Amino acid sequence: MESPSRLPLRRPERGRVVGGVAAGLALHLGVSARLVRVLFALLTPVGGVGVALYVFWWVTIPVGDPAVAAGAGRPAELSRLHRPLEHDTVQRLRRLPWTEIAVGVALLAGAAAMLLARAGTDVVGNWVVPVLLLVAGAALAWSQLDAVQRERRGGSRGPVSVLRLVGGLVIAGVGVLLLVGQEATPGTLVQSTVAAVAVLGGVALVLAPWWLRLVRELGDERAARARESERADIAAHLHDSVLQTLALIRARADDPTEVARMARAQERELRAWLYDDRPAPGTSVAAVLAAIVAEIEDTRTGPDGEAVTIETVVVGDTEPDASTDALLQATREALLNAVRHGRPPVSLYLEAGPDEVEVFVRDRGDGFDPDAVPDDRFGVRESILGRVRRRGGTASVVCKDGGGTEVRLRMPLVRERAAAEDERTMQG
Amino acid sequence: MNDAPVDVVLVDDHLMFRAGVKASLDDRVHVVGEAATVDEAIQVVRATQPPVVLLDVHLPGGDGGGGAEVIRACTDLLGGTRFLALSVSDAAEDVVAVIRAGARGYVTKAISGPDLCDAVLRVAGGDAVFSPRLAGFVLDAFGAAAGDVATGDDELDRLSAREREVMRLIARGYSYREVAGELFISIKTVETHVSAVLRKLQLSSRHELTRWAAARRLL
Repeated sequence: MESPSRLPLRRPERGRVVGGVAAGLALHLGVSARLVRVLFALLTPVGGVGVALYVFWWVTIPVGDPAVAAGAGRPAELSRLHRPLEHDTVQRLRRLPWTEIAVGVALLAGAAAMLLARAGTDVVGNWVVPVLLLVAGAALAWSQLDAVQRERRGGSRGPVSVLRLVGGLVIAGVGVLLLVGQEATPGTLVQSTVAAVAVLGGVALVLAPWWLRLVRELGDERAARARESERADIAAHLHDSVLQTLALIRARADDPTEVARMARAQERELRAWLYDDRPAPGTSVAAVLAAIVAEIEDTRTGPDGEAVTIETVVVGDTEPDASTDALLQATREALLNAVRHGRPPVSLYLEAGPDEVEVFVRDRGDGFDPDAVPDDRFGVRESILGRVRRRGGTASVVCKDGGGTEVRLRMPLVRERAAAEDERTMQG
Repeated sequence: MNDAPVDVVLVDDHLMFRAGVKASLDDRVHVVGEAATVDEAIQVVRATQPPVVLLDVHLPGGDGGGGAEVIRACTDLLGGTRFLALSVSDAAEDVVAVIRAGARGYVTKAISGPDLCDAVLRVAGGDAVFSPRLAGFVLDAFGAAAGDVATGDDELDRLSAREREVMRLIARGYSYREVAGELFISIKTVETHVSAVLRKLQLSSRHELTRWAAARRLL
């Protein structure tokens, strides 16, 4: 474990000259990058040690911002944001100090090579160069991993990554050939290369199903994650709406009217969110009506101050126009009347046919005689009946003995439609 | 109607809701059993064979078919046991699912206690129970608002003019008695019309109905 003040060994992407090894080392050791680079340069003439070391570290040190890596390694409770998943990954990677092991192995290998060189074998030509080639090729191909991770975070896969993969494969292949075919003639070399490629092809063919399954599982996992985020959306919505309302209701449990009103408003909102497909504004009379009902339920109370529920049934739908606007305004007045003077339950029924729209508003109050209402009371006569009749509709108020009052409104749509068609022919 | 209370089995996965319903029912109705899942419901209904089952549409357990699955599993009992669906959902596919499986009515959970008792008694008497919302839904599904009205009695895919009138009045909040008074017919005739509409709802192959039923994977 490095001391807390020391940055972990990473190859930073910023401030690098070749592979970021010198910059990373400098950050890790707390010395100037220039000093490290000079050291590498000085070591290069000494049997190529500088280059070898550089390549080795290039291969073994992972890419990354040392500062970020240090942050990720910090205990979660010290970080500003708790990110358990990332923390878990870091822990798992930490369990085996791969870098240290690799360094040790490389140093041992270097020592063995020197010993063998003393004994008289040409180790460097026969072994070191091919192995270095192999490792470099593998590293090039494996750096793909970084690219894939970056791509998942929002980048895109370009031709560069493919080039990198192919180049890595070629370099590693050449390394393997040099390593294995040290005493072979060119003929056998070619032959064995063909055989090796054939075997690789066969293996790839056999392993293809597993590969495909892996890809499919990845797709499934992504779908699961999408579902997860959808669930998070729902949870967020429930939190913002239902839980808040429940908290409010608990706080005001001693006020039954208010509680009933809040519960009703919340129910309507949640229902709309769950079941309704939301029509575009200005295309649905039903949506306008729903808004009117919501407004009345939220702001008005019955004669005794109790919350009122309006049982709404809508059949069919049509686009709003001037006459349906008048109809809905009249409906609103009728509903207000029913809520204020009638007795619940208040029933509202709207039926939109091809030729006309009908609205019925019913309450269970004692009823009243519209003809007995004095002339100066504008409510029913003007705002409900007059509004509809002026637009060419019919309107009536029916009182039943013991059955409450029903306002019946009917608005023809024909005229408006014909007018719209005239307009269209004139334009055409 | 006789004075003996009607036995019902109450099926709902929310304990709180079951308690609320039990408290709101008056002495005309007697709860003889309760169940919270599809499997439990089938078991309890088979054991008690009540005249009426109050059935929630959304239930856990079984094959995920909810209330409709319970009804289908008890098809052989439908002569003596009738199902009344009780739901918070207004979604068309939920309504169609339970009605087509064989439920005799559909009421929403906002219904008051006395109204629910009336509905239970009505279903026990062999009649169908239509809430205003279900009536509106029927009118929508059969295209009645667009004037698509049957001319013959044996047509399954359209409502007759009289059935349409009855449905419209129920959707306007009228009780069966008020409907009868408005149309100058007897309550019995109203009940006959409503039962006929229920039958059409169950048997019709109208596109809307089959599509909604398909949404819950039953036809």
